[in-house]
Amino acid sequence: MHVRVAPRAHSRVLRAALILTCAASAAWMAGCRSDPSDQITAEWMLDPSPPVAGGALVARVALRDNAQRPVVGGKLHLEGQMSHPGMTPVLSDLIERGNGNYEAHLKLTMAGDWVLVLTGEIPGGARITKQIELPGVRTAG
Amino acid sequence: MDVLRLPLLGSFLRWRHSRQALQLVLLIVASAVVVHGLFGPQLAPRNLATVLTSIHWRGLLIVSVLAAGNLFCTGCPMILVRDAGRRLYHPALRWPRRLRGKWLGIALMVLVLFAYELFDLWSLPRATAWLVIGYFGLALVVDVVFSGATFCKHLCPIGQFNFTASTMAPTELRVVDVATCRSCRTADCIKGRFVDRGPESRPGDRRLVERGLQPARTLVQRGCELGLFLPVKVGNIDCTMCLDCVHACPRDNIALATRVPGAELLETRRRSGIGRLAQRTDIAALALVFTFASLVSAFAMTTPGYAVEQHLAEMIGVHSEAPVLLVLFAFGLLVAPLVLLGSAGLITRGLAGGVPFTARELIVRYAFAMIPFGFGVWLAHYGFHLLTGILTVVPVLQSAVIDAFGHAMLGEPAWRWVGMQPGSVFPIQLGLVVLGAAGSFGLVHATSLRDHPSAPARASMPWLAIVAILTTTALWILAQPMEMRAVGFFG
Repeated sequence: MHVRVAPRAHSRVLRAALILTCAASAAWMAGCRSDPSDQITAEWMLDPSPPVAGGALVARVALRDNAQRPVVGGKLHLEGQMSHPGMTPVLSDLIERGNGNYEAHLKLTMAGDWVLVLTGEIPGGARITKQIELPGVRTAG
Repeated sequence: MDVLRLPLLGSFLRWRHSRQALQLVLLIVASAVVVHGLFGPQLAPRNLATVLTSIHWRGLLIVSVLAAGNLFCTGCPMILVRDAGRRLYHPALRWPRRLRGKWLGIALMVLVLFAYELFDLWSLPRATAWLVIGYFGLALVVDVVFSGATFCKHLCPIGQFNFTASTMAPTELRVVDVATCRSCRTADCIKGRFVDRGPESRPGDRRLVERGLQPARTLVQRGCELGLFLPVKVGNIDCTMCLDCVHACPRDNIALATRVPGAELLETRRRSGIGRLAQRTDIAALALVFTFASLVSAFAMTTPGYAVEQHLAEMIGVHSEAPVLLVLFAFGLLVAPLVLLGSAGLITRGLAGGVPFTARELIVRYAFAMIPFGFGVWLAHYGFHLLTGILTVVPVLQSAVIDAFGHAMLGEPAWRWVGMQPGSVFPIQLGLVVLGAAGSFGLVHATSLRDHPSAPARASMPWLAIVAILTTTALWILAQPMEMRAVGFFG
């Protein structure tokens, strides 16, 4: 016995899925620009090193452009994120100490793997993102 | 109560395209997961792939089972893609008889859990995206080659998890009036509903039918692709709540009925598409993997968990995590259940006297009583991540928009938006584990009353002890400090 499936909404759904994929790709391509972060280098210094969970952490970062000139006047923030999504981040503003040096005070709340993410704007309006991985942060003792 | 008769909700579910509507929503979400996972920032807390899967999808999946039923199988977007694929290539083969059952699904479920721990998939957006793509691809390939819902019934790791969890759901698709089914001659609920091309067809169509160039009947609504014949269907195992049976039944004789969660695990009737539960060693094994994996999964995220891995590595003399995890999984999912339940089976035969079952048969019968406890632990674990991280999707979306368009069209990312404090969630977790344990205590007792009416108290003692041991273990695990490791443990 021959059986033919009656027309359904599948072709409409397939069209919707294809349109969605094209839109997502277009959005991604629109976002594909050169990243100003690539022009900036960050040198990190942590105190204490290695950092300890539950204790105060001072994060210092020196920003230089590709001509090794200090990047001054940035409005920058520091986030401490864990490797597992959904964990409460620790947030702090970076205070400029002059000559492209910035400093933030944090407290890593839990043992595990952390990533410090620097975000913000530098003079000229460009947004930058820099990060440093802090694997295996342990509690004191 | 019949949920299908409720205003609004019932009308929506009875709409022929309700499932497709849900599937389309989840397809959009899956697309966002894949695109952001592949092309977005590769830091897990800032990527939709890892945030939506580890926090929202896992948490909402288990919560929705408790609240309503197997909703995530109802809205599975892989079926939408598979259906589209079948428009191009209709499957001609049936899944081989010797591969039917749950063993392959169990193996895949364990493999996914193992890979999740080994590769720390929660921290890898791109790998998560590829896992999602792989899932879709596998479902598509299997179901355009084999007929029915082969991937759902025999293979899908998520499906096997959902089927087991949905034994605790408060709803079930079942017939309203069995007498109505007795007078039914077409069995649309399983065969599908067809429309004949009768005299009212166009003359051109009738000539094409007579010449064999056009089908004589048209399928307007498929029936249950998982082989569940509604008059004999018992419980939620293998039911994806696709609602095909509801739409196919010409007598409107199927209800989404409320019920007592877990009660189906005591049913001894022969189940359509499954047989008798007490004779299904594979489903019993699935129940035990479901239960014990809840503990292994939670333990792996704790400081003692990492300490155990380190000790094991030193004992074995390895520098790679894979053999250590293999040992842990083998102990947690194989050795511990066999030792505990095997001992209980032997003790029951000794204590209860005249038990007509072998130790193996006892293990199978009592394995299902462990499901409520396992469900409680999964709910405590996934619920923790959901409650503590439910709002993180907001800043991640805001950040994704900035990445895509260069402007904060949804505002600056509010990274302080996370969720409840872990300390506030802890009492909820304890309560969920205790409730799950209470459910298992009740099922053990009811199983003993059913199977050992002459000595139920003595027969149940070893199994109650197992539930008590597992509950103590779960509460201890929940009290341990969490440690979120992502980079290779061995450096």
